[in-house]
Amino acid sequence: MSVETGIVEDLKSKFTDAITDASVQRQARIILTAKSEAVINVASYLKENLGFDFVVSVCGAEMPQEDLFTIIYHFWSSSKKILITLKTKVPKKAPKIQSITPVYESANWHERETHEMWGVKFIKHPDLGGLLLPEGWKDLPPQRKEFKLTG
Amino acid sequence: MTSLIIGKIRGNRVITKIVNWARLSSLWPVHFTTGCCSPEEMALFMPRYDAERFGVLMVPSSLRQCDFLVVLGLVTNKMAKRLKLVYDQMAEPKYVMAVGACAISGGLFYDSPTVLKGIDQILPVDVYVPGCPPRPEVWIQGIRLLQEKIRKGK
Amino acid sequence: MSVMRVSWGPQHPASGQMRIILDVDGDMVVNAIPSVGYTHRCIEKLAENRRYYQIVPLVERVCNLDAFNATLGYIQAVEELMGLTIPERAQHIRVMMAEMGRIMSHLYWLAIYGIMPGFLTMIMWPIGDRELFLDLAEMVTGCRVTYPYFMIGGVRADLPAGFAERATKTLNFFENRLKDYERMMYKNKIYEMRAKGIGVLKAADAINLGVVGPNLRGSGIKADTRKDEPYQAYDKFDFEIPTEERGDCDARARVRFREIQQSISIIRQALKKMPEGPVQVKAPLRPPAGEVYKKIEASRGEMGFYIISDGSDKPCRLKISSPSFRNLAALPFLGRGVTMADIPVIYFSLDLFALDIDR
Repeated sequence: MSVETGIVEDLKSKFTDAITDASVQRQARIILTAKSEAVINVASYLKENLGFDFVVSVCGAEMPQEDLFTIIYHFWSSSKKILITLKTKVPKKAPKIQSITPVYESANWHERETHEMWGVKFIKHPDLGGLLLPEGWKDLPPQRKEFKLTG
Repeated sequence: MTSLIIGKIRGNRVITKIVNWARLSSLWPVHFTTGCCSPEEMALFMPRYDAERFGVLMVPSSLRQCDFLVVLGLVTNKMAKRLKLVYDQMAEPKYVMAVGACAISGGLFYDSPTVLKGIDQILPVDVYVPGCPPRPEVWIQGIRLLQEKIRKGK
Repeated sequence: MSVMRVSWGPQHPASGQMRIILDVDGDMVVNAIPSVGYTHRCIEKLAENRRYYQIVPLVERVCNLDAFNATLGYIQAVEELMGLTIPERAQHIRVMMAEMGRIMSHLYWLAIYGIMPGFLTMIMWPIGDRELFLDLAEMVTGCRVTYPYFMIGGVRADLPAGFAERATKTLNFFENRLKDYERMMYKNKIYEMRAKGIGVLKAADAINLGVVGPNLRGSGIKADTRKDEPYQAYDKFDFEIPTEERGDCDARARVRFREIQQSISIIRQALKKMPEGPVQVKAPLRPPAGEVYKKIEASRGEMGFYIISDGSDKPCRLKISSPSFRNLAALPFLGRGVTMADIPVIYFSLDLFALDIDR
């Protein structure tokens, strides 16, 4: 697991303040937690310097007893065969974060879905229009825990 | 005078029987495949089960010359508007067949906020074919039920 | 230039439960904008309301053409979370059924792709031959299309007596049929005119857009989860990852054709060296708290499952990274500057499945 450990050390030294937690979960799995304003810089570094060429997904999550949303990015390196899970927190009241679409073009639709399902605003995203939900959806973003399922 | 003649023709039992026989022997469906039942739909119209021998021919032609609407699979609220539009465009007489648990009652997605819990909320359904997805044999039984319904004069 | 907006779908025999908005200038497509969500069921939200074993049929219906692979991905993720070791025999059976699922999915794709250039035979033959594999699946699991067979801890029951003979007979017959397919479609001049040189996706663009699966391999990139991150017993099997260099519709179609041939070889190997032993272990109701990301190579591409567990019997979060959603970005890219007649061939060469996109 020396490659994974090397990547974690590299990121910790480059982003001493921005990355608050970095660990190797197991072989080929690294989990990072970063401050929301630093995500775009970490993403750029992952792409340009560490060879993480694919965005696998961008999604939201809501941990219990937290007044925050967690936004989770998954990056995959096709050369190193390693997956990085990058987590960051944004406040529930006005969730917004810089979009990583200028760096990773493929993050476009993932961020659009996260916006629709969680209500997170991605700044500088080219088009945050509706995607999966019916037109004119007026209710809460459905993946939030406060949206209750009926039936 | 003309309306009298038409009335006499319509009332005639033999002619009604012939007309009904013609209708049931050549039921062309509008395939409204919106869900995961699509492999079974393919299987129904292809070599092994061959629904064409019952007169059910899948033609990718205009809605207006099809006889019955097969709603196959789940219908979301986004799609429900389009479903109603398709139904309204069809010419009379028209029939509706709800195929699959999702079309009948929402099925596995009974608590989903975006799924319509059964198409009979927006359309009058003639035949329900249960299953998830229904086997082609059950579907053929559904077609026969519909044909029986037409034969008896719906 | 006068541009007209044409809506293809969502109720259309060939659009596949999604809508494509085409901006056309005469016969040339200026823009192809996919509009999805007509089959969105909020499966990820529904999963938070169900126990782990109840989520298996939900996940199956994300991509039910390839039901074995979809359920395998989810079940593996839960098993990793629980720290279970699956018996060797169950792993081999899973690999064999997953490859059978891959063949079934590719045959369905071939049927739809075949009819687009106008080959009516190419919808009849694959669907007819697919029935043979559905028969095999029915022999093992009891069902044709959606299977209550893979479970958390292994497989539900052992293979029935006579399965190996029946499977070998089917594979021998089908391998000959593949020669017919090749002659009928792949070596057909009319098909070549419609698919060669159309919808070219270069390697750099493929990576940029984030496409996965045969679409990526058709552009020359050798990426397959079965080799990159082997799961189940795949590391014990001998198979190749087919790639093509041209990146056009025909290249992607050829990759899928060769994958069917590789799947046949894997199934044969599984039948030959199936180990003895149990087929399931007992799984707990509640996994420990934690998170896992596990991916598999479904027939459409890499499918990932990310689960966050809080220690209860229902997941805190389930995220499904579906291959068609990632491949969707290729459609507007390839649909620009082509004729209207090329759009169906490009669209179906990408093997997008709306249920997979919407979840």
